[in-house]
Amino acid sequence: MDSSLLIWAALLTPLAGALLVLLARSPRTALRLSSAAGLASCVLAAALGVAGFEPILPSAAGGWLRVDALSAAHLLLLALVGGTSSAFALVYFGDEIDRGRLTPRQARVFGSLWCGAFFALTLLLVSNNLGIMWVGMEATTLLTAFLIALHVSRESLEAMWKYVLICSVGVAFAFMGTLLTAAAAPAAGAPQALSWTGLLADASRLDPNLMRAAFVFLLVGYGTKVGLAPMHNWLPDAHSQAPSPVSALFSGFMLNSALYCILRYLPVADRATGGGGWPRELLLGFGLLSLAVGAVFILFQRDAKRLLAYCSVEHLGLVAIGVGLGGFGTVAALVHSLNHSLAKILAFWSVGRLGQAFGSHDVARMSGAFRASTVWGVGLLASLVALTGAAPFATFLSELSVLRAAFGRGIVFALVLASLALAFVGLLRHTIRLAWGPSEVEPRRLDDGRLDRALVAVTLLALLGLGFGWPQPLLHVAESAARVVNGEATLAAGGLR
Amino acid sequence: MESIADRLMLLLILSDLALLGTRQLRRVILIAGLQGILVGALALASHPGSLTARALWLAALGLGMRGLLFPWLLRMVARRTDADSLDQRLQPYVGYGTSLLLGIAMLAGAMALGARLPLPASTPSGLVVPGALFTMFTGLFLVIARRKALRQCLGYVILENGIYGFGVAAVGEVPALVELGALLDLFLAVLVMGVAIYRITEEFDHMDTEKLDLLRG
Repeated sequence: MDSSLLIWAALLTPLAGALLVLLARSPRTALRLSSAAGLASCVLAAALGVAGFEPILPSAAGGWLRVDALSAAHLLLLALVGGTSSAFALVYFGDEIDRGRLTPRQARVFGSLWCGAFFALTLLLVSNNLGIMWVGMEATTLLTAFLIALHVSRESLEAMWKYVLICSVGVAFAFMGTLLTAAAAPAAGAPQALSWTGLLADASRLDPNLMRAAFVFLLVGYGTKVGLAPMHNWLPDAHSQAPSPVSALFSGFMLNSALYCILRYLPVADRATGGGGWPRELLLGFGLLSLAVGAVFILFQRDAKRLLAYCSVEHLGLVAIGVGLGGFGTVAALVHSLNHSLAKILAFWSVGRLGQAFGSHDVARMSGAFRASTVWGVGLLASLVALTGAAPFATFLSELSVLRAAFGRGIVFALVLASLALAFVGLLRHTIRLAWGPSEVEPRRLDDGRLDRALVAVTLLALLGLGFGWPQPLLHVAESAARVVNGEATLAAGGLR
Repeated sequence: MESIADRLMLLLILSDLALLGTRQLRRVILIAGLQGILVGALALASHPGSLTARALWLAALGLGMRGLLFPWLLRMVARRTDADSLDQRLQPYVGYGTSLLLGIAMLAGAMALGARLPLPASTPSGLVVPGALFTMFTGLFLVIARRKALRQCLGYVILENGIYGFGVAAVGEVPALVELGALLDLFLAVLVMGVAIYRITEEFDHMDTEKLDLLRG
């Protein structure tokens, strides 16, 4: 297929799916339609992601839409997280339909907003215009807000309000940053003023003071959506109250997509401010704080989904640290964001399914997960151990690589090591309790189907496989994307293969 | 005062001070709407020599939305949730007098920051950055310092007014598609917040965000 056609197909398929779902009468039809549209969108996103590594980059709409290695790597991640979570939605909501807990209206709302979120995420990834990228980011907030309160309760409404308000204010700051970037351009006011390729080519001519101010606004604004501390307050509430497929999409990709927006600006801001690495240092500072905050809060969590949310703050902090270190650190960070997403989607699926069996996400009530389901018990145990960063899982290798990148910087290295150790202890304690601890309630035994087994097995195998080395195609994707983030900087020789 | 843009920015600063000291919700909505008209007019006054039909209809659209549609929408939410009577009982985290004093400090901060930010020569008024920053600070302050969800939503609208004011005066034209997308997002944000407030009031029987404290830790 022609690459420009592929971009349009990747954008319009989820949009068509969102409209089609609204016509469904029964909840099961709506669910099947939304999952089918989600899967189709992800297949197209994957195809577009692969095309992004061809010698001629896909582009459309006169250069407004463009896919390079960085967006292609994220499109592949979207395809992975979105595709598998669409399949998981069939399992999760199928159970709710069986028990009469999902009305036709709720199923239509879910399907429509789920596909709408895929459209917004794809739009922000394929946009070469930083203004349109911002529009896509804000649209993801608004489209996913009602997904948090799909099952209306006091808790879910509270989480939804905090999410909408904090993220909208944050993303408004990012808009101010976008406008300041446009004002910093020598061609301010010209139609190409917000074109990323144009800005990168002209980066050395941007006003350094305005660009500094712009980057601060952008980092705080998009950083709010990433869940970087201290702007992370919305994240535990939203992740814990959303239905599990939505939590998986939030944690497995939406946070990464917000970080992607920051990564887009890094090479521009770096060049504009003299190439001394000032924007990276700022990102590194936020990363260190997030890693430490996430690690400390993991210790005190009582709700399994809130625990996973703080785990996201910790891991996204680590990714920010890797990017902040630059060079090989960026490659390690990009691989770690894939590994974190794999572990996190499996963890949210498992907690979601087991939560359906126990009727709660409370750690004390959910303890002894294997009594509800062997398949999801294995999924929970393996994903939580992977999230601790233990061998032989993929996260061990990527955490080690970020640490290796930080080795030359004494204090950073020590802080990362101490925070990771704290998170390891905290998470392992919860893991043992969740897997084998005594439970306060007798769970309903889950009927694990073929799809349940396939989802757990495939994700687990990927987590294990990537723990023994990074295959050449993955390394190629990460290195190519890192080159974009590093502004064509020479990467450190070697790498873990 | 030399240009119309200067006068509009001055009015914007005065409206921010009024917003900080106003107790009645109805008046706050009215002033936020007037601010929408002010920043809409700023879009027209900023670059009078290069006014195109495209710039005109985009400015008119922004003005209509910020100046008329949002106040109408927020009034409707206020009526449906009986916000006026609730407003009498709910004291904000920071009192109105103190808010006004803090507002003067924020204005001084915005002036100091504005003086350090070099803007393109085409910027129509030296008050653009201080005025826009002060409006943003005011909006953010209202989001943080007010207890009622509707007032927090108004804070967000005011924050957006400040950003828009900065954009039209300091950046000039951004592509129409970007401006339309941003307007659509803003409209959706206000709509989503309005629906959320309505649902919160239905479920909790109030919109006091201090009592939205079930989720902790």
